[in-house]
Amino acid sequence: MRKLIQRVMIAAALTASLMTVDACKNGNQFARVIQPGDKEMIGSHAAGQETYRPLVEEAVCKLLDRHPANGEPSTSAQGELLPAPRQQVCFVGVTNKSSEELGDIKDSIYHAIDSKLHESGSFAPISRQYVDAGLRDLRLRPDDLFMPAHMRNFVGVMERNGQPIEYLLFATVTSLTTRENKDYQRDYQLVLELVDIRDGKADKQVAMISKAYHQSRASRWSATHWPFSAK
Amino acid sequence: MVGRCRMPSCGNGKLKTRFPRGPLRQVILLAMVQGWAAWVSGCHTYTQRLEVARRQFYNGSVDTALAEIAKAERGYDSSRDVVNLEKSIVLLSAGRTHEAEQLLRETRDRFDVLEEKSMLKDGLSLLTDDTHRDYAGEDYERVLVRVFLALANLMQGGADAEAYSLQIMDKQQQIIDAAATAQGENPKALYQQVAVGAYLRGVLREQTHRDYDDAARAYARVVSWQPTFRSGRLDLQRAETGHHSERGNGVVYLFALVGRGPLKTEVAEVPSSQAMLIADRIFSALGKQTVPPTLAPIKVPKVVPRQNNVQRIGVSVNGARIAATEPITDVTRMAVSQTEAMHDHVLGMAVARRTLKKGVVYGAKELAGIEKGSLIGLGIDLAGVAYEATEHADTRSWSLLPDTIQVVRLELPTGEHLLELSPLDYHSRACGPAVRQPVTVHDGRNTYVLANFPAERLTGKVQVAMP
Repeated sequence: MRKLIQRVMIAAALTASLMTVDACKNGNQFARVIQPGDKEMIGSHAAGQETYRPLVEEAVCKLLDRHPANGEPSTSAQGELLPAPRQQVCFVGVTNKSSEELGDIKDSIYHAIDSKLHESGSFAPISRQYVDAGLRDLRLRPDDLFMPAHMRNFVGVMERNGQPIEYLLFATVTSLTTRENKDYQRDYQLVLELVDIRDGKADKQVAMISKAYHQSRASRWSATHWPFSAK
Repeated sequence: MVGRCRMPSCGNGKLKTRFPRGPLRQVILLAMVQGWAAWVSGCHTYTQRLEVARRQFYNGSVDTALAEIAKAERGYDSSRDVVNLEKSIVLLSAGRTHEAEQLLRETRDRFDVLEEKSMLKDGLSLLTDDTHRDYAGEDYERVLVRVFLALANLMQGGADAEAYSLQIMDKQQQIIDAAATAQGENPKALYQQVAVGAYLRGVLREQTHRDYDDAARAYARVVSWQPTFRSGRLDLQRAETGHHSERGNGVVYLFALVGRGPLKTEVAEVPSSQAMLIADRIFSALGKQTVPPTLAPIKVPKVVPRQNNVQRIGVSVNGARIAATEPITDVTRMAVSQTEAMHDHVLGMAVARRTLKKGVVYGAKELAGIEKGSLIGLGIDLAGVAYEATEHADTRSWSLLPDTIQVVRLELPTGEHLLELSPLDYHSRACGPAVRQPVTVHDGRNTYVLANFPAERLTGKVQVAMP
């Protein structure tokens, strides 16, 4: 009888523990707000914020360094200090030529670049809505704008819409993959190409980040800690 | 006939508990086993319960179909999510897209939760059958719920349609990746991908007149995943080198849900049942106790296609027949091939469940100290057979899905147009009444039209949206 009771108790305990495990893992998802300085996530299969954020930062900084604000701040008739005039730039868009799907990252890159240009004292980007309307009106693809006739038409439409432009800006994301057995390295590049519509001359700034993807923790550890691995 | 207690603590070998002794104890035990067998038995399968609702829906009576679904739902909490999927299709067809989207979103989230294995419910389902666990959706249903979310949202302005279209592609990749084993095998690696997800993404990106690169990538996937969709190559070519539409034109996309999708039915796995019968006879001959013979066949679900007369939807614009829809996702083929890929796993689970049930009966007889070959033992074996016979295959499935999701792209001059949609049979002959629908086309923009033809007539109404 004692053994029977023991068995029943063991069965009850097992059921209770199963129910507890079940209740703990009730399928809810949990979240946290990542504060500045907190550890952020790193894309394990593709590039994410850890790649694109510094790429945007570096490429835009390089571009702004090469194109500082022109002229001196002026003073209004009332004696108010006015900022230096900024160059009107039409940021056409981001083209993805990498081997990865950008998904929702693409619009995020666009707005990150656009915001940085807005914050700078050098450029005054025009609204994306005007750019889209201009392209739609003329049925032009972004790459069509490199043809002089199309560019002139586009600039004309923008002027008619009250958005004169001096520069066209194109952003392109590229990647280069190098495989080493199951692991691979991917070099991500963000290219910013600024075209002066007056003479067609282009300035190009490139930012690059390399990322290694490992198939196991051991492989990742050996790549960074193993004394004989290539540095 | 009186069982002997095998516990060492029972000095004289007789059972010394407060549990009634002698034949009374065994009769009570038998009654308990039979009572439990009766409790776990189901009445009708899911497919049978929804039969009337489906018939009403195919006849075009969306309100009656909704009422019938509500009736069939009562008392079956574990089927709530799949019933919500059925409802969402009816609501979507009736033009109640907001409600449909809400239900689909809830179900998508529930499926994501249920996808995680529940040890308790898995354990309970081993003692009964799969119909007693919450339905977590088949793989194709988990992807299609996102497809219908995208369509429902598109018909209300499409603010989230792009996000849903990305989720479609993400989800199918997650499902495939999660099935990979440490040995490098993946039974889901050959799953057919849902091309309509990539197509929607292409359509939405192309409409920006700027992100042609994204559109080209998406259409390249469509071409690769659904090579029979001939328009895919034209779409890809346009995204690579052309533009959305000529100046002064806009584009109408007609999405048509065509035909009746697959159904799950219960089938008996005769070879496995016979093998199990031989095994349990050998075990009964050699063991201390007999086990119930496998007289009730092992039942597993099978996805079966349905006969469909309607094959395409012909489209006339302002009286001139100009095109017909093309299948971009073959729901039936996808469902059948996915369940075939997982058939061995499902059968393995059914055999394991049957073995466990025999173990339960064996253990109960041992615990009660019933002699092998006794009349009571025979009674318990009969109860065991009844217990096994109560087992049902899980036939729950999203049964109001269409056979195919089809699409046609029409570039039309800006302004008002009258569309006429006619269901066509195998020979491209009209097989049901045509439906007329006015649409407005805007310069350089998309207009979306959604229609559901599960049989030879439209169910619900044609919906038009211009985000």
